[in-house]
Amino acid sequence: MTIKSSVASTAFSRRGFLGFAAAAASAPLLAACGGGSASQSGGGSGVIKFWDMPWATPAYNDAAKKIAEGYAPASGNLKASYQTIQWANFYQTFSSAIASKTGPAVSTGGGFQAFQFEQQGQIAYADKVVDELKKNGQFNDFLPGVLEPFKTDKGYVAVPWQLDIRPLWYRKSLFDQAGVAVPTDWASLLEAGKKFKSMGAVGFATGSGAGNNIGNHLMIMMMLNNGGGVFTPTGELDVMNDRNVEAVEFLLELVSNGIIDPAAVSYTSDNLNAQWKNKKAAYGMLTLGVPERVGDTSGDLVVASPIAGPHGDKAALIFPNNIMMYTNTPSQASSEAFLVAYMGQLKQLWQQKLMNALPVFKSITELPEFTSDPNNVKIVKEYVPIAKTFAAQGTQLNANLAVLDGGQALNQFTQTILTGKTDAKSALQTFQSGLQSVLKK
Amino acid sequence: MALTTAQTGLNRARRGVAPGGPGKPANRKSKLSSQTRKTFFWLLLPSIALVILINGYPLVYASIQATHNGSLLDTGEFVGLDNFATVLASEAFWKAARFTLVFTIVGVFGSWLLGLGLALLLRTKIPAGGTFKVLLLLPWVVPIVVSSTAWNWLVGTPDSLIPSIFRNLGLGTPLFLADPTLAAITVCIFKVWVSFPFMMMMTSAALASVDTTVYEAASMDGATRWQQFSQITLPLIARSTYISWILMTIFCVNDFPTIYLLTGGGPVDATTSLVVLAYRTVFQDFQTGPGVAIAFLMTITLVVISVILYRQIRKSSVE
Repeated sequence: MTIKSSVASTAFSRRGFLGFAAAAASAPLLAACGGGSASQSGGGSGVIKFWDMPWATPAYNDAAKKIAEGYAPASGNLKASYQTIQWANFYQTFSSAIASKTGPAVSTGGGFQAFQFEQQGQIAYADKVVDELKKNGQFNDFLPGVLEPFKTDKGYVAVPWQLDIRPLWYRKSLFDQAGVAVPTDWASLLEAGKKFKSMGAVGFATGSGAGNNIGNHLMIMMMLNNGGGVFTPTGELDVMNDRNVEAVEFLLELVSNGIIDPAAVSYTSDNLNAQWKNKKAAYGMLTLGVPERVGDTSGDLVVASPIAGPHGDKAALIFPNNIMMYTNTPSQASSEAFLVAYMGQLKQLWQQKLMNALPVFKSITELPEFTSDPNNVKIVKEYVPIAKTFAAQGTQLNANLAVLDGGQALNQFTQTILTGKTDAKSALQTFQSGLQSVLKK
Repeated sequence: MALTTAQTGLNRARRGVAPGGPGKPANRKSKLSSQTRKTFFWLLLPSIALVILINGYPLVYASIQATHNGSLLDTGEFVGLDNFATVLASEAFWKAARFTLVFTIVGVFGSWLLGLGLALLLRTKIPAGGTFKVLLLLPWVVPIVVSSTAWNWLVGTPDSLIPSIFRNLGLGTPLFLADPTLAAITVCIFKVWVSFPFMMMMTSAALASVDTTVYEAASMDGATRWQQFSQITLPLIARSTYISWILMTIFCVNDFPTIYLLTGGGPVDATTSLVVLAYRTVFQDFQTGPGVAIAFLMTITLVVISVILYRQIRKSSVE
């Protein structure tokens, strides 16, 4: 009786197998070193390539495309093309495209992306665009303080076009049910939180799970709200200052009292939205447009006024999103002309109620389509004047902020705080060490 | 006496030796003429060049990045092996390496045991066996984005289904993704759930090739069911098993989405594997050199593990 195994030995050579294994094993290497896909043709194709991100629903990108492709240049300047770039691995996408000279001439992108690419000599300064905006009156229409963070010694790195801000929201019906007033300072936040905890609700909702950066932003916002911040006014790292320690101690107190959900450390954006939708979250820091985001436009979700820290400080976290120009362009003059024209058409996006962000122009904040939402009005009136960026206590944006915003140090710090198994100084010390090892001097 | 007979029969069956003794070994190598070899070489050359281009270029570029301090756009300055030294001295690397090891061991052997068990079960005649087989394949077939969302729905919050069941059973409310230890366990179980259909199919295919008469012969020689399983089934599917272990080891070590989509590597890096760490180092901390160095170290480790397991395959085929 002869038994034949189907795993025939002759079909399986050592060399062949090792080749296969090595190829499969090298996948992480290929993944780590490879660039993203960039299927565009070169920058010198006779058109200004404008790359835009999915800032809102697909209707936003449709409208932005219409503006870009409807742009009629003056004689001698080039027309524009439009392409949406997904957020997933966007930095990789931009980097590989720029490296292969197939990147855009003009783009929106990450909040600090312009500074990252400026460091590498890929950004065309926008001084001439700013000059044009001065001539056409749009310069004076900017909300106070939105353009300055983009000015460097060499020129304007980018031009702001919308503001992403982190206001505080509350659910009116839960406050009515609890019989407590909306917090005005940290002390009243703590007291209200205890009441909500006893009701089985969450007094300070947040999340730091996969892909959710609200928790990270909350950490920085609370530092700013106490007059602290990660940097000194001159841009030096300053994590261990007393105001930060005090802010983190307060956050740990909220965690230990169960006012911050013990599971918040793993909450994705969907988990957090569900908590708001299911009327379990009473109060917390989120983005703009929470009622639409959560799916409850009954008017029960309302923007709260900014709270004061124990020393009376008030602050909000803001991200001035911007449009940048690149040195790889078929015509710098055409890039500039397109950007000026595009800035002039921005109001259409708010008129069509497509934006989930604040405009940078006063005139747009006065549009009836914008003011019809009282939450928008409150944010512009109460939050924008006290808003600070990640660069606080400095004002100048820079490439290091991208590392702070998306990097491992802040995320690990946030998750450490939300698990509550630390003390403020140790957590801040680890945060500072983590940042020191990755920030460029 | 009966035991000795059974053992002899089992050994013979396992080695594929007929009662009449081993036959004359087949002449496996045929001599090729010099002209044929040249023809083969020229026919293979375009494919070899393509493979070198596709795999070689990124590997060479990665080795350049790993020994420089630049970014994705700019190579930067040559720093020798500094990036490797930095990575090896980092606590985060060793923490991720430990988790990767645990994740891989649980992923490989957990999915293999489950897959083997189900493959054996499916070998018996059960009602609606085909449908059952298709249903069991679903975790492997469903896109990982969908299954991770489903798992998040099952365990993500205290009000999710599984924690609610625990609570109703009076077992408290476990925070499956918020507690570092539970998160690590959950991710490993998720990996086993996603991977067992692959192991089941590999094992099913290997089992299908085993001649049933071997078992009849072993039964006649008095072998118990356990003896048949441990001394006939397992040795006869050993080669397939080792191959599936090697493949699953590579799948586990390189597995980015299973971890990243469910936990993002958290909480507090409790589920950060080496591939997640490499990604975060390159694309979140913008430390290209150290990130690629991590990927290189992973690759070297994987090749070593693959070679060791390959030797096991050769050993099992010699036996």
